[in-house]
Amino acid sequence: MKIGLPRALLYYRYGDFWRRFLTELGAEVVLSRKTDRVLVQDGVTRVPGEVCLPIKIVAGHLAELAGRVDAVFFPRLVWQEDRLYGCPKMIGIVDIARMMYGSAPRLIAPAIKGGLFWPHFRAGLEVNPNPAAVLRAWRRSASLLRRTEVEPSLPEGERRVALIGHFYNIGDDYIADALVRAFVDRGYRIVTKEELPRRVLRSRTGFAGKIRWTYERELYNAFMYLKQRVDGVCVVISMGCGPDSLVAELMREEAERQGLPFLQLVIDEHTGTAGLVTRIEAFVDLSRRRVRAAA
Amino acid sequence: MRATFPYLGYDTPAIRAFFDCIGAEVVEPLPVSKRTVELGVRYSPELICMPFKVTLGSFIEALEAGADTFFMAAGARRCRFGYYHYLQDRILKELDGRCRMVPVGQYSPYDFFFRVMPRVFEVSPWRVMRALRLMLVKSVLTREFRQGLNRLRAVDFGRAEELRQPTYEMVVKAGTPAEIAAARRELRRTFATNGDRPEVAVGLVGEIYYTLEQGANQDLELELGRLGAEVLFERSLYHHLRYLLGVDLSSYRSRRLAGRYLRECPGGEALRTVGEAMFYRRRNVDGIVHVFPFTCMPENIALEALQKFSEETGMPVLSLSFDEHASPTGLVTRLEAFVDLIKRRKRGRRLHRG
Repeated sequence: MKIGLPRALLYYRYGDFWRRFLTELGAEVVLSRKTDRVLVQDGVTRVPGEVCLPIKIVAGHLAELAGRVDAVFFPRLVWQEDRLYGCPKMIGIVDIARMMYGSAPRLIAPAIKGGLFWPHFRAGLEVNPNPAAVLRAWRRSASLLRRTEVEPSLPEGERRVALIGHFYNIGDDYIADALVRAFVDRGYRIVTKEELPRRVLRSRTGFAGKIRWTYERELYNAFMYLKQRVDGVCVVISMGCGPDSLVAELMREEAERQGLPFLQLVIDEHTGTAGLVTRIEAFVDLSRRRVRAAA
Repeated sequence: MRATFPYLGYDTPAIRAFFDCIGAEVVEPLPVSKRTVELGVRYSPELICMPFKVTLGSFIEALEAGADTFFMAAGARRCRFGYYHYLQDRILKELDGRCRMVPVGQYSPYDFFFRVMPRVFEVSPWRVMRALRLMLVKSVLTREFRQGLNRLRAVDFGRAEELRQPTYEMVVKAGTPAEIAAARRELRRTFATNGDRPEVAVGLVGEIYYTLEQGANQDLELELGRLGAEVLFERSLYHHLRYLLGVDLSSYRSRRLAGRYLRECPGGEALRTVGEAMFYRRRNVDGIVHVFPFTCMPENIALEALQKFSEETGMPVLSLSFDEHASPTGLVTRLEAFVDLIKRRKRGRRLHRG
């Protein structure tokens, strides 16, 4: 059985695990191709115009897989431990996928409500009806779910910038490659929330405890953790992202209070790299001048 | 303490009744106008959704009129709405340090009756329950006002607009349950259509604030009435209160119907939007008007489901997304085209049947 995995959204967090899990179940895993302009333009036509870029991108990936596979594995994150929700569009895109596909390819979309084991167990049975085989596949792949528990080393004297954005945006080269390179070329080290330990990301202190979106809480915690430890913060928001529109505002206020250089980049399918790089250059100059003034 | 709350279309008097009954001094919010929206937009984060901006504008106007305690619905779940009050609180505090925001958690009736309200107003939970009962009774009246008005507009637009102001004043004045009952009888008499049926009926679905607030949705019910279309709606303060108290059966019906397209609730009113649209089809409505604020997350998912629904059933669906730049002229043109389409379809169908 050929099972397709769209290379978008949750893939950037659970992709390795899913690939191993499905392979262990005896399926042939087919990945959609890396995001490119054609794929994005195709995605744009398949979802309402006001949704955010990552949703448009995933629609493109889903369409790309359509004729090539027997089934598409596309779990739905409703909520995780501590009743932390996924965002409405992430929940709803699975239904949009179902409407898009109709009867073929089959959509394997377990709903994650709490832990990961049961939804994956049930989904595994759809691929391989032998429960023992599903359990074995889970055991062999679950190690890939483990996240780092150590804090990243952030030595003195190094120039760093915190890139605060959702992993499905930062992880997608089509969106973030130019940004990352713009910083790296100017001698900055990029720190993202993926390098931070779970303990930091899941912290409930302060406003973070009130945020009920799982990835948004991680972003906010990452920001609060990194703001003392970096020379500047760059927040990447996709146009139309609901949770970000709120939380980024709080981050901006906090950064202003601290006098920390703060750059907010809003991206959509029309964003050109040239404009972004110019803004990053200006931002880098500003933070350099600030360091010099302090010294 | 001078309390205020965001303006909510024709349901405002019902909310007002709650505060009056509880014995609070109220600063009545002004109807949403161009200035309200402009004020809201000026002080809001750029990318946030419209109900935030409009309610903030409403609050700022009340602040100017001397209000110092602001009541805002809260309850953080999947949609942004539950978080409004954090940011609005900060923004209002910056404008005037003395003001205070009271988030009214929607999903915990216990806290509402026994903790939040008694503490803020220093009254007994019993008094809060009595005030809520009055609000519930009055919201039936405001809902019937809107229903009657919409029907009469479609039949005799001129008379409906003549009667609107005096009748609304009567609705506002009715203060006790007995007066409200009398006002309902009076309402039925004034808005009687004597058996005339409107040519076209459309169902209004969508995000709750934008379906209820005429200032925000450019009063599209009025425009549709002018075109001879009766606007049917399910969403009202009355239904929302019943839903929050756990006694609204229509929400279960919506959930069941919408399951054909959406198996999991994306938050907000998405399931109700889709479920109600499917329900209106059974009630032989001629078209669906779907309204929501620009970049609303749940409604954009519902929009996709409604398009599929429209494809499968042939039901005309007009989706309207509103932002601060929405122009009344553009809206009227689109509504005209939509109603024309419906009328032509109906006539065509009648011809075919011979």
